[in-house]
Amino acid sequence: MGLPLYSAHGDPGPSFWHFAETMGLTWVPHATANDTTHATTVIAVRYQGGVVMVGDRQATGFYIASRDVRKIEPADHFTALAISGSAARAIELLKITQLSFEHYEKMTGSALSLEGKANYLSPIIQRNNLSSPLIVVPLLAGWDESNLVGRIFEYDGAGGCYERFDFATIGSGSPFAEGTLRLGFRSDLDREAALELGALALYEAGDNDPSTGGPDFVRNIFPMMVTLDEKGFQELSVDEVGERFRVINQRRTESGGVAGGALR
Amino acid sequence: MSNYFYVAPEQLIKDRAEFAQKGIARGRSIVAAVYDKGVILVAENPSASLNKVSEIYDRIAFAGAGKYNEFDRLREAGIRWADSTGFTYSREDVDARALANYYAQHLGDMFTEGQKPLEVEILVAQLGNKLRPTKLYKVAYEGTISDEPRFAVLGGDSETIKTRFATAEETVQPLDVTLRNATNALSGPERTITAAELEVGILEDRGHRRTFLRLSDDEVSELLG
Repeated sequence: MGLPLYSAHGDPGPSFWHFAETMGLTWVPHATANDTTHATTVIAVRYQGGVVMVGDRQATGFYIASRDVRKIEPADHFTALAISGSAARAIELLKITQLSFEHYEKMTGSALSLEGKANYLSPIIQRNNLSSPLIVVPLLAGWDESNLVGRIFEYDGAGGCYERFDFATIGSGSPFAEGTLRLGFRSDLDREAALELGALALYEAGDNDPSTGGPDFVRNIFPMMVTLDEKGFQELSVDEVGERFRVINQRRTESGGVAGGALR
Repeated sequence: MSNYFYVAPEQLIKDRAEFAQKGIARGRSIVAAVYDKGVILVAENPSASLNKVSEIYDRIAFAGAGKYNEFDRLREAGIRWADSTGFTYSREDVDARALANYYAQHLGDMFTEGQKPLEVEILVAQLGNKLRPTKLYKVAYEGTISDEPRFAVLGGDSETIKTRFATAEETVQPLDVTLRNATNALSGPERTITAAELEVGILEDRGHRRTFLRLSDDEVSELLG
């Protein structure tokens, strides 16, 4: 590829996606290939001072294709993108997103606002989902540096972007996670309580949804847990996550599999 | 029927070179140098927002002297080239030498075929790792590309600045010493340049993928001592 120079009126600006379109680097619509989908559960919970995200690790087709997929990735230092739907498209969306935020920052000398990042994804999702049978639905959460709060943005299949002030879920395990979150969410959650609630909601999804992977004590693979706060994207260690799920599992074993009482 | 006066190619090239040199000499200069842990780019730039030094990629930085609109368009093209190359292949396949060559070809084409030559001199700096060496590629207005081992000067009066810097810094030094030497080389003995009039960017491994860092005025003053 040569040097991509444009005249002022044909310039695609600081958007990598628009530039990639002019170069023919983006995906071709109307694809019919039957890609592996990964049914999923990813949860985002807002707390005082940030957002917690929890995501399962299982890629499911007609069988379990992978047990250690990362469905939450940093889109940049202060933003995380979680993905559900067609694996191939979701990974491409993630790649485009990460590159776009960095590209914008390098081109203009300043980073996009969190709202700008959330809106940026809408037409990309719309384009993909309305022109292809391979649907991808992401979930964006981040630390808003202008307003000093954690924020969550969810999308519908047509690219509509909606801010959520409590919590959001994506993927096939959503109904089970959502039920737990609805019972457990309070607007004054702190980080610790949000992590606990998020882990429990994912445990429920893993317990009831065949396409969501719960904690795997045999292989020592656990759902991903991430926080986004003033320090940016931080991922909890495997040991830390494992310990949280061990506690939930222990309680559930003691109660004979009954989830009751104080959300246990 | 239109009439063209014959102009000898030697004369044409000479006129175009003079035109470009004059344009470049109107702007302030830039010193790029290798220091013990990375690469530093020091530009004399009274504007705090119109940058002469920028990030291109994880280990690649750009500096431009001369006409701002012309080198800024090249900077943007460089970022686009790097980001799309990394997107298509892999981040480690983005090589400063390839980019510098594209710049050289474009500047060369504009010099001989363009309406007018570009009035710019640019530099592509690469911080080395186990795959690639640390390099400073300087590309002149007519497309001449040179690979400078330790430091390079862009802009008007570059020969004088070059001599001053070479005399002050005989070997590779730490960041603060190199910054001081670069600043003194830019200012000369007659005047002083304050931190606010400097634009400084470095490429240094700090445990992150992206190695470019723009130093604030406070950081620059502290290093200048």
